Amino acid sequence: MAWLSFIILCPLVAALLIAVLPRNLRVLFRVLAVTATALSLAGALTVFFSFQTGSDGLQFEEYHPWIELLGAGYHLGVDGLNVGLVLLATVVAFAAACLAWEVTHREKEFYLLLLLMTGGVIGAFAAFDMLLFFVFHELALIPTFLMIGIWGRGPDRDYAAFKLTLYLMVGSLLVLLGLIGLHAAGGFRSLDMVDLQAHLAIDPAPVAWQRTLFGLLLAGFGMLVALWPFHTWAPTGYAAAPTPTAMLHAGVLKKFGLYGLIRVALPMLPEGARTWLPVLAVLCLGNILYSGLVAIRQRDLNLLIGNSSVAHVGFAFLGIASLNVLGVTGAVLVMVAHGFLAALLFGLNGWLHQRFGSTEMDRFGGLLVALPFAGTLLAMAMLAGCGLPGFAGFPGEALVLFGAWQYSRVLTVLAAWGALILAAVYMLRAIRTVLHGPLPEKLRGIAADVQNPWQRLPYALLLAGLVYFGVWPRALVDKVQPAAAEVVARARSWAAVPGSSMPSGTLLAGNDPEPGGTP
Amino acid sequence: MQVLPWLILLLPLFAAVGIALGALPAHRRGVAARLSVGAAGLAFLLSVLLWSSGTQGEQGFLWLAAGALKVEFGWRLDALSVPMLLVVTGVGGLIQVYSLGYMRGDKGFGRYFAGLSLFTFAMEGIVLSTNLVQMFVFWELVGVSSYLLIGFWRERPAAADACKKAFLTNRVGDFGFFLGILLVWSLLGTVNFTEMSAVLQRQPEALGGLATLAGLLVFCGAVGKSAQFPLHVWLPDAMEGPTPVSALIHAATMVAAGVYMLCRVFFLLDVPGSVALEVIAWTGIFTALLAGVIAVQQDDIKRILAYSTLSQLGFMVLGVGLAGGSHDPAPAMFHLTTHAAFKALLFLGAGAVIHALHHQEQNIWKMGGLASKMPVTFVTFGLATLALCGFPPFSGAYSKDAILLPAYEQGRYGLLVLALTGGFLTALYMFRLVFVAFLGPAKSQAMDQAAEVRGVMKWPLILLAVPTVLAGGWGIEGVYRRAFGAAEPVEAVSWFGQIIAPLTHAPMVALLAFVAAAGGAFVAYRLYWDALTDPLPDKLGTPAEWARRRFGFDELYARIIAGTQDALAGLAAAVDRWVLAGAVVRGGHGLVELAGRVLRLVQTGNLQGYVTFFVAGTVLLLLFVLTR
Repeated sequence: MAWLSFIILCPLVAALLIAVLPRNLRVLFRVLAVTATALSLAGALTVFFSFQTGSDGLQFEEYHPWIELLGAGYHLGVDGLNVGLVLLATVVAFAAACLAWEVTHREKEFYLLLLLMTGGVIGAFAAFDMLLFFVFHELALIPTFLMIGIWGRGPDRDYAAFKLTLYLMVGSLLVLLGLIGLHAAGGFRSLDMVDLQAHLAIDPAPVAWQRTLFGLLLAGFGMLVALWPFHTWAPTGYAAAPTPTAMLHAGVLKKFGLYGLIRVALPMLPEGARTWLPVLAVLCLGNILYSGLVAIRQRDLNLLIGNSSVAHVGFAFLGIASLNVLGVTGAVLVMVAHGFLAALLFGLNGWLHQRFGSTEMDRFGGLLVALPFAGTLLAMAMLAGCGLPGFAGFPGEALVLFGAWQYSRVLTVLAAWGALILAAVYMLRAIRTVLHGPLPEKLRGIAADVQNPWQRLPYALLLAGLVYFGVWPRALVDKVQPAAAEVVARARSWAAVPGSSMPSGTLLAGNDPEPGGTP
Repeated sequence: MQVLPWLILLLPLFAAVGIALGALPAHRRGVAARLSVGAAGLAFLLSVLLWSSGTQGEQGFLWLAAGALKVEFGWRLDALSVPMLLVVTGVGGLIQVYSLGYMRGDKGFGRYFAGLSLFTFAMEGIVLSTNLVQMFVFWELVGVSSYLLIGFWRERPAAADACKKAFLTNRVGDFGFFLGILLVWSLLGTVNFTEMSAVLQRQPEALGGLATLAGLLVFCGAVGKSAQFPLHVWLPDAMEGPTPVSALIHAATMVAAGVYMLCRVFFLLDVPGSVALEVIAWTGIFTALLAGVIAVQQDDIKRILAYSTLSQLGFMVLGVGLAGGSHDPAPAMFHLTTHAAFKALLFLGAGAVIHALHHQEQNIWKMGGLASKMPVTFVTFGLATLALCGFPPFSGAYSKDAILLPAYEQGRYGLLVLALTGGFLTALYMFRLVFVAFLGPAKSQAMDQAAEVRGVMKWPLILLAVPTVLAGGWGIEGVYRRAFGAAEPVEAVSWFGQIIAPLTHAPMVALLAFVAAAGGAFVAYRLYWDALTDPLPDKLGTPAEWARRRFGFDELYARIIAGTQDALAGLAAAVDRWVLAGAVVRGGHGLVELAGRVLRLVQTGNLQGYVTFFVAGTVLLLLFVLTR
């Protein structure tokens, strides 16, 4: 059975159905959205748990020729790098669909866009054709703009939507240019990632060309993931976005950039990677330290979560920049962990906003007592956010730090400061302000917890994801590691490129040998 | 036997999860209590079984592996972990029973026991860990359970602040610990204790010039968890938690985890070329003295005990620091074990007093005359005080003596004198507490209503008094010594032989320690017997005031944090708002808009204008091309 197509098509077919139904069938839209995403989720669970750990190559592969002229095909598949992301995408999509009840006007359009976005984002992660990869991403991105513009909230909505659109459009454009460049480097024969990768391994692109393309892709993918200093769209954008959109974008769609770097840029452009990764290693500290510090100063929960999310993806960048098996495996783990975490935090934050009309932290206090369910979940999510073992963030960040230590000790010390101290400072300050302490008089009457089990389910599911991969990281690590090892091997094959003259050991690289080299 | 350690480790976790999922509401408190106390009691019984079976070894499964990193999750049983397991489950079990009475009327009864069970799980995890990363995982889990229990009364601002402070201060230590793990891993190629020790045995120089740094980074973890100077500030504030929590976590077990960890990785510290042990010894003695001085001028019964804990942890750390060469750190573990019993007893006694005063009063200068009202509490508290001060034949005398002995034998008389001063201070603040709170005249009306605790709160006091009095003669040090490679003793020493051992071994040290403690008790008698207010501030003036204000470390740290991290955060936020988001984004926006406005001026729709521009452009181009 074509599981991946099934997973992608469920939401898209549901979107089509909603498009043709009359607009007053509100309940039906909701049921359709929840059912479609639930089916996708079931499919993704099947794929994830029947994935053959340890075997090479793509699994659940599907291929149909598409545009022969360009060498584009409908090519889907999963390997270790994306099998977790596909699962993540469906879990978050299901949770987002469940939590879309907060939208009360123009539901038809909202659910339509949400389902398009869902189909797009899953497709982008499952695609092994660069055109398909890009088109699916745009299919997810454009609904994001519309949803923020139409259903967004807050006084700065227009500015935030405008800024986010601008950044992400520019990012996509750069990515497009980079992908076209890769197509050209492969002699315009194929857009298929597997083919192109094999081709470039034998016949690599010239060094200058590689450096240019990698720079383009790094800038483009970087903007899509809010790489410092292109990050300012993220906190304000998420603050203005409706809850399901923020969950899907921050949790899943944003990972597209990181995934693209690992899937496309690293293995196909080793010489470019060698030139640019030291730059990335420095920029990611901007995410980890600078955005961590900015998060400390936020007085609004939404902006705090937004900035913390920017800080967390810094660890994925750091893992990529270290370019070893530990780092890249850790980066993938961080992506999945952060996906569950960001979706959970934005979901809870949206619920608070819906209930209290604002997320300014000083207005709150004592919510743990007043709202046992929502408060406890928020507290757990925040503890997960400061890298507590037992939640998926810990193995991810730990692997990244172990990998980064082999690359540069100075960077690792600074990043560990961000992981262990800064994250704990802003998360615990938020818990202290929002959840602990006495309940303010004004909130006495209106504080009512999440009661309905159907409303509790999405939060519980996201938390379950965090705990599952936190307690048993091998469920993911064993799948990721072989694929990550292959990417690293390809990206480190720069010696094969003619004319590469860069001195080894750039700026910050410590050039540690693998530990344990001594008997 | 192989299944026992798994059971011991997982039972409390099941209890915690079970309570969290189904027994949090107040009407299910019975279920919560049965689950939690049952798990703790069973874990203790199984630990005893494990101890008597003499099982040793290591078992685990792969938990996280990628590249050059291999982390197992498992257990390691040896002469270090099994006795420690007995301490954790034994003291923990008694304190859980005591909590049944102490927390009876609390709304969060279920949540409390879930927290205690989570703590027990995490602490057993530290004890059983086979490698540094597993230990770090449980290290953090212990930290979070401590956070949850200090902040148990979360609606109280003081408790909420205290738990945050405890967690963050610990995180600073953990930061160093984690870097230490990274460094050791990259130098030795493994994180497993057995393998690391094997590598170091083959090549003692494997850590090279980084030996001291590696040792000190790992020590950072202990500085945080065992609240050594300069990270000692969180422990006194942690007394905002319920008193049984203070007894279990912030006196008997968790804070001792740092000492346990140092003993576990002792082979990393005791390598040629490393001065880590020297630093550790001085950190320990400095903490012991600093906390001892502060304790003399505190008025809150729990805070006095908290500073006393700090001081005793300092002694244990000193015990680790004095090891090396022919000495092993078994004395530190010995003191940890006896301290776990008598300090838990002291806290439970303080809890009994607080409970008797309806949780209203903790200031010893408002108490007095409790000895006659609460005889059982007084007697057990008194025994524990004697043990803590190191009066023979109570247990503390032997463990403290064991710590002083290496200093004497190595001829490090400076450390010895300082340690004896610490012993003097211990007796001074403890007898001050006993004289003022229990013996002197009643200083407030509330004392009239005080009555002895009963049932589940009384028996743990009595049971803990047994090791408090007798443990000096149980040969505990010899047991731990085996973990550091000492052979089984040839002939068993009788109980009486153990009791008089210090006198036969090094009578000088035993005598000096006794004199120091007796001196402290005598000064306390002269100052505080029948005193209604503290005479010391008048006599000493400024130094007493400094001690009362804890030498201003809290204020100093607050200022440092405000001046560095918070200032940086403010700067980053300002840059983000005004430069990156403001100037760059809005500026970029503005530039595009400006360009649009300027260009719009050109788009007049006037044909003559277009023709003029066209001609002018052509002329310019021609000029450019022709004049080249």
